[in-house]
Amino acid sequence: MPLYVEKKPERLITEEGVRTDGRLPHEIRPIRMTVGVLERADGSALVEWGGNRILAAVFGPREVHPKHLMLPDKALVRARYNMAPFSTPERRRPGPDRRSVELSKVIREALKPAIFVENYPGAVIDIFVEVLRSDAGTRVAGVTAASLALAHAGIAMRGLVAACAAGRVGEFVVCDPNHDEDMWGEADMPMAMMMESRKITLLQIDGPMTPEQFEEALNMAKRGIEFVYELQKEALKRPYVLVERRIRGV
Amino acid sequence: MSKLFKGEIYVQDKEVVVPGQPLARGLKPGKNVYVDEDKVIRAKKIGLVSIKDDGEVNVVPLAGAYMPKEGDIVIGIVSKISGSTILVDIKAPYQGAIPIPRGRAAERVDIFKYDLKPGDVILAKVKSFDGSSSLLLTIDLEGLGKLEGGIVIEVQPAKVPRIIGKRQSMLNLLKEKTKSDIIIGNNGRIWVKAPSHKELTALEKAIREIEEESHVSGLSDRISSLLDRELG
Repeated sequence: MPLYVEKKPERLITEEGVRTDGRLPHEIRPIRMTVGVLERADGSALVEWGGNRILAAVFGPREVHPKHLMLPDKALVRARYNMAPFSTPERRRPGPDRRSVELSKVIREALKPAIFVENYPGAVIDIFVEVLRSDAGTRVAGVTAASLALAHAGIAMRGLVAACAAGRVGEFVVCDPNHDEDMWGEADMPMAMMMESRKITLLQIDGPMTPEQFEEALNMAKRGIEFVYELQKEALKRPYVLVERRIRGV
Repeated sequence: MSKLFKGEIYVQDKEVVVPGQPLARGLKPGKNVYVDEDKVIRAKKIGLVSIKDDGEVNVVPLAGAYMPKEGDIVIGIVSKISGSTILVDIKAPYQGAIPIPRGRAAERVDIFKYDLKPGDVILAKVKSFDGSSSLLLTIDLEGLGKLEGGIVIEVQPAKVPRIIGKRQSMLNLLKEKTKSDIIIGNNGRIWVKAPSHKELTALEKAIREIEEESHVSGLSDRISSLLDRELG
């Protein structure tokens, strides 16, 4: 007998569009972002997004080990997405699995186009995304955190990368699906964007949607991303604003 | 900032900007910026905007690793002697190498300078750098070579220009007030030889304050009063 049994709610959304956590379809969960949370990393960020707690650390540009991976004309970008054993309702077996290998790949590919890799030939930029607590949408929160950590490390970038998911619950298209909607909803669509050009660098869909629903989900995710981007800019500037305010006393 | 140039500016001078933030259009792109498809000048790194009188738009970075440039003075730590090469860690993504002169070449240099062992702290100059793998250093100049008797303070390489100051003003202030020998490497290592522990402590506090507050104007005055307080 398992110690923990997931229970499906009686209904995921009311006819008026009220979701299991009380949000309306277009509403996003509360988010808090902090940069500079790790002393030993070159750049770091903590993103608290709904129940998600995600740490991102960036090391580099630094020397490549093992040497044979070195690229002579640009930086190598590596990413590792990892879930802590205690991040899920049931203990998760530590170490990489099929899912985390995939997420490492999509996170790397969501961020790499934003990095001026040609500015760091022969070096490596290592990105670590550690999920401490998971609550649906860890990949978009991970991309958001990693992008902050890269900028915080002072790495040359075309712009920040912001991410948010949209989904479908019954006939409703919803922004930022929660745990229940992720488990029992019809579709989930994570998306990431380079904010200076609004180019999409990550788009996955898990579940069926009509072309109209897809269009709506795309717009829903975009609106979520714009909101996330505003929070990212504020979080990056905050340490400097605080120091200035402390000195000036205003 | 004169208005001799035409173009649009989207930010204020000295404003903190993040990567991708639009800064201006129709002006001259300078350091740590790029021009996008719509000719908008955008920031590459987190930093402070600096618009020169001639309309050049720059970002002075607030963070980032040290990337070697030819002619830079760096403080290195000898990591390994391999054959006829001294390998040096200079806190960059690339290892520095100093070839040990042999034969004829050895006659023209002070060969005792090359008597180094792993862990030695040296002052060196970047002789040549091909941008990726070959980073040659030299110690074959007056004043370069092994540094002895002091300690090394590591700082963020992006903050080095602020620790030196305009026309070395900050460095001179630190030297005078603490009566110390200070050598600043472009790579974010500072070698310090202070007369006593008191001066050393004051100096380290001052350096940490410069690192943290470099983006707020009036830095020299604050550092000056901090040193007076600490040493007074």
